[in-house]
Amino acid sequence: MNEILEKIALCVEFGKINKVSPYPPNMKDQDGADELTRQALDGGVRPDEILENALVPAMAKVGDKFSRKEIYVPQMLMAAKAMNSAMAHLKPFFQSGETKRKGKFIVGTVAGDLHDIGKNLVAMMIEGGGWEVIDLGVDVGTDKFMSALDANPGAVIGLSALLTTTMENMKQTVTAIKEKHKHSKILVGGAPVTMEYCQKIGADFYSPDPQGAVNYLKALVS
Amino acid sequence: MTNAKFQYAFSDLGITVSHIESILGYDENGESEIIQFLIDEALKEAEQYCNIRAEYRIYNEVILSNPDKSLTINNIQFNIQKIVFNQLKKTESVAVFVCTAGGEIVKKSREVMMEGDPIKGYILDVIGSVVVDVAADLMQDALAKSVIQSGQKITNRYSPGYCGWNVGEQHKLFYLIPENFCGIRLTESALMDPVKSASGIIGIGEHVKYSKYTCSYCDMKDCTYRNLKDEKEERRKGNKY
Repeated sequence: MNEILEKIALCVEFGKINKVSPYPPNMKDQDGADELTRQALDGGVRPDEILENALVPAMAKVGDKFSRKEIYVPQMLMAAKAMNSAMAHLKPFFQSGETKRKGKFIVGTVAGDLHDIGKNLVAMMIEGGGWEVIDLGVDVGTDKFMSALDANPGAVIGLSALLTTTMENMKQTVTAIKEKHKHSKILVGGAPVTMEYCQKIGADFYSPDPQGAVNYLKALVS
Repeated sequence: MTNAKFQYAFSDLGITVSHIESILGYDENGESEIIQFLIDEALKEAEQYCNIRAEYRIYNEVILSNPDKSLTINNIQFNIQKIVFNQLKKTESVAVFVCTAGGEIVKKSREVMMEGDPIKGYILDVIGSVVVDVAADLMQDALAKSVIQSGQKITNRYSPGYCGWNVGEQHKLFYLIPENFCGIRLTESALMDPVKSASGIIGIGEHVKYSKYTCSYCDMKDCTYRNLKDEKEERRKGNKY
């Protein structure tokens, strides 16, 4: 791998956002994901190479470490922040169509539920997996999911819930989506959700951690 | 019926950096200086966003029914399910409680996240949860002290949404507390507003007991707190890390 791509990947994996960021201490005063991505682009590295060969593998490592409980949410958030600082340089290329992402992922916390940290973590990891994320926020009713899917046909949907009461609202949303968009893939997650419940309501996939969702999406497009 | 109200200062709770660090999943020995620094900064700031209140009301009219594992308080029947029922079966009276950190801490946490600092936002969110938990512990200690005079003891606290007790029963619980108790409102989906709030019941009686570790009774295998406790136990035994 190109040396600068390796450096970007390391910065993302360990949450080195930019030169002034103090974390991690062993990378103090070194360029971070922000500066290195700019340098890579200026040096002629293609944006899709940066995405595929630096950001995506780095975030996959982060997700795996989180799944194995080697790191915790704060380090995952630092990594995501470093990834975002790199991604900011790539966004113009996504907008112009020069660099393609793997697909679109619509995510939201279901109606009646205001919890969003788990949903945000999944969104960050999926963005780091090379997908465009459309985050509908919290307390999202079926109509809003349907409108987003109508506007982005073929997008994968992610539903989150933290309460057993609001989890029941997943069923209504899944049923409505599957009635109109039979082939749409729906992922569900959140503390009370299980694989059994996922199957019962007709959703396609459940994962107890964000990396499971990233791996599922990867398999969908490979 | 006995009522008691509490207002706590942030400093009353004695929350330390290592306490938050441990809830975040880190070893108490301090494996990450930067995380400790961020927690320390967030703790200093959190004080101004917390309005910590707790309140309980004791009901003496209590009926336990073994066949349907229910508890009736003041003619309101709760289907508390097997786990909670077993812990409460020797209960003579029940304290219904609520506790809150107030709405500002969550508002600030979300604001900080929106401004592009998800780590600080997350740490503030976790501090809000810990504030509620520790304040509920203090309230529970006060209840224990007040009933010990009459030769009674208390159980652990149990809340709808845990140990198989349906969170929807929170609506019934709120019938037993005065409107706007501690400023907490219940949404249609049984979510408390402010979010950093707790509600539930504590059994009181001569023959009830308080258990130190209750996670093993609960069927929520993926619960964050249970997993953290299990991991810490593994670390303690030297089986991991």
